[in-house]
Amino acid sequence: MIVQRAIESAGIPTILIAALPPVVRQNGSPRAVAPRVPMGANAGEPNNVEMQTGIVKDTLKQLVSIESAGKIVPLPYEYIAKV
Amino acid sequence: MTLKKYDGLQSEIYVPITPKPVWAPVTKELKDMNIGIATAAGVHLKSDKRFNLAGDTSYREIPWDTPAEDLMVSHGGYDNSDVNKDINCMFPIDRLRELAKAGFIRGLAPIEYGFMGGGGDVDVFTHKTGPEIAQKLKAEDVDGIIMTAG
Repeated sequence: MIVQRAIESAGIPTILIAALPPVVRQNGSPRAVAPRVPMGANAGEPNNVEMQTGIVKDTLKQLVSIESAGKIVPLPYEYIAKV
Repeated sequence: MTLKKYDGLQSEIYVPITPKPVWAPVTKELKDMNIGIATAAGVHLKSDKRFNLAGDTSYREIPWDTPAEDLMVSHGGYDNSDVNKDINCMFPIDRLRELAKAGFIRGLAPIEYGFMGGGGDVDVFTHKTGPEIAQKLKAEDVDGIIMTAG
């Protein structure tokens, strides 16, 4: 989130795909989305092109549509890793 | 009732403080934007130097057209097994290239950035690593950034 804030401060809008939304909130991310994924597969299940495309597309849509800093939008994708 | 206010007064008990909001407005439509990726997931070229897993504030540059199979992760802070199967889990470069090809976005930033988040020297990240990456992106006229972290 430190680097995200630095990029945003330089004038480039940013959005973070987060697996741990509470951490993101605490650290002052300007924009974030939160699919239901484990840390390490933030952009979706490995080799699941459909899920990854959905997450990236929805992330980009939220980049444009989030109107104020600090918003975290849940995304309707779920991947449960087999540990 | 009026409340007395003391500037700078804070609790003796340590609590994490959420930093002040930062905000850069989006000024273009997605189809006209060049999008880059900056990831804290420790992504880099296989030919690059690995990150020091004990803490590393350096970053790696990744050209936009790098084949996914030429990328790898070195990061000591999370389970790498998914990202080792498919780098797109944390660095969705193939998905972004497909979206550019489809016209959903204009294109990719010429250089993407990988670093090892979740620890390391916060001061260096705040005053050196972050601003350096930001300035490089700014110089390349990048319109928006997707990040993976946290």
